[in-house]
Amino acid sequence: MSHNVHQCCCGAHTAIRLENLSVKLGSVQILEGVTASVPYGMCTAIVGPNGAGKTTLTRTILGELPYKGVLEFGDRERSFSSRRPRFGYVPQKLNFDRDIPLTVLEFLASGLVRRPVFFGISRSFRMKASEYLESVECLKVIDRRLGALSGGELQRVLLAQALMQEPEIIVLDEPAAGVDFKGEQLCCELLEKFRRELGFTQLMISHDLSMVAAHASHVICINKKVYAEGDPAEVLTSDALQATFGLHVNGIVLPSREGGCTCKH
Amino acid sequence: MQTLMDLLCSWVSLLPFDCLQLRFMQEAFLCILLCAPLAAAAGTQVVNFRMSFFSDAIGHSAFAGVAIGLIIGVSPDWTLPVLALGIGLGIMALKKCSSLSSDTVIGVFFSCVVAFGLALASRIPSMVKDTQVFLYGDILTVSNREILTLFVLSVVFYGFEIFSYNRLIAIGIHEQLARTHRIRVTWYQYIHVGLLTLVVVFCVKAVGVLLVTALLIVPAAAARNLSRSSGGMFWFSVLTGLISGVAGLLISAQDWAGTAAGATIVLCACLIFVISLGTGLFKRKRKI
Repeated sequence: MSHNVHQCCCGAHTAIRLENLSVKLGSVQILEGVTASVPYGMCTAIVGPNGAGKTTLTRTILGELPYKGVLEFGDRERSFSSRRPRFGYVPQKLNFDRDIPLTVLEFLASGLVRRPVFFGISRSFRMKASEYLESVECLKVIDRRLGALSGGELQRVLLAQALMQEPEIIVLDEPAAGVDFKGEQLCCELLEKFRRELGFTQLMISHDLSMVAAHASHVICINKKVYAEGDPAEVLTSDALQATFGLHVNGIVLPSREGGCTCKH
Repeated sequence: MQTLMDLLCSWVSLLPFDCLQLRFMQEAFLCILLCAPLAAAAGTQVVNFRMSFFSDAIGHSAFAGVAIGLIIGVSPDWTLPVLALGIGLGIMALKKCSSLSSDTVIGVFFSCVVAFGLALASRIPSMVKDTQVFLYGDILTVSNREILTLFVLSVVFYGFEIFSYNRLIAIGIHEQLARTHRIRVTWYQYIHVGLLTLVVVFCVKAVGVLLVTALLIVPAAAARNLSRSSGGMFWFSVLTGLISGVAGLLISAQDWAGTAAGATIVLCACLIFVISLGTGLFKRKRKI
């Protein structure tokens, strides 16, 4: 399951570079002159108030919306191109017909294997799916109906599906919404574990600042444009940020990070 | 072609039913063997992705297709599928680029096409007879060429289903998710809608405009009641379609029944649906 990639957490490489990015939906300017970068192989969080354009920003990065400006993807060799990397995506809410007859295994197969599910699912794919579901600690749902899952279980199945894409960049839209504290903590820890193993770049939207402080190593604060960007310890405690967003962030305990990067650049 | 049909018909005549000794019944039987499972297979997606109104609209475009054919002097065998394809793809395109909801878009196309067909039909006196055929269907007068067309369409449609059944599920669950996971959503959607349109059009001959949607959705709805997996639903649906098609055709030919074939087929499918409804409820209760 592992890819041979550069895995340090120094942020010297950039996975996504945004320069003067503007997005207009209809006549409404949602994002204006956004300039930011997402470091390679790390966890970056996008924070901001409701209606700040967080989801719009991720959808633009995923290639769903037209934009003006520069949107480039970097690789390990520090060269940039507009070629889209392999994305894994976990949407905020999966609005689907809950009564549809579809098992979790079939759902996982739907995006990944060609052989139609009415001809049965191969044993090798079943093994692969079990492996991923086990790693998100949700193996027991493999033969359940997708519509019968709880919010937390569905979230994990979606995470497993995104991981099965073997993504270079994984994008999560509020992974913690609708999941209890324990589920949220588990989700973040799992992602951290996978990131170390597989070396993908993680980009997530979050409302939960204590979670951001604990798990993210880079934060982008937006509200139509970028207000602050950088290390969570600096960004989340700045007075200007509190004034802009009206956040109560005094109580957040920032964990100390393990030793710096040892690789040579 | 003719010898092949003769061979197939002689096989059908081996079945132990008196009514199947007649040539036109043998041809109708072959037609329903192709048509009913095809419609039922297409129906699984129509039911799961809520497209029954769409297939209804396509079915109703038959009037306009026939009327245009009569006016410009081209056989309706050509104008009907071409117009239906235009409408099917047009609905898809408008749905993609406008902010209107899909049932509104379909509703607008639906009324346009029906009004157009009726307006044309009212100008042509000879149209009344043709209209009847399309309203109620006439499987007993199916021609060899129509059977061949259905066969080719079946091969193409099943081929497409095998190639893209999984992808269509992914798109049906969440379009954006499918797109970011590198599925060419638009491509699949247009091809699917195009083929679905052709299936509907060629099934109009069997059961008529009024009942064509039933041929698609009733078997699939029954299958949905009975199955919990998507693969299971597909086979249940095809089986239900096949059973109701054959049973409906044979019953309609009995002396004591003497009913229209199309209507009898749909009634058989509805009966299976009612049974499946009961079974489904019973299953659900037991689970709780």
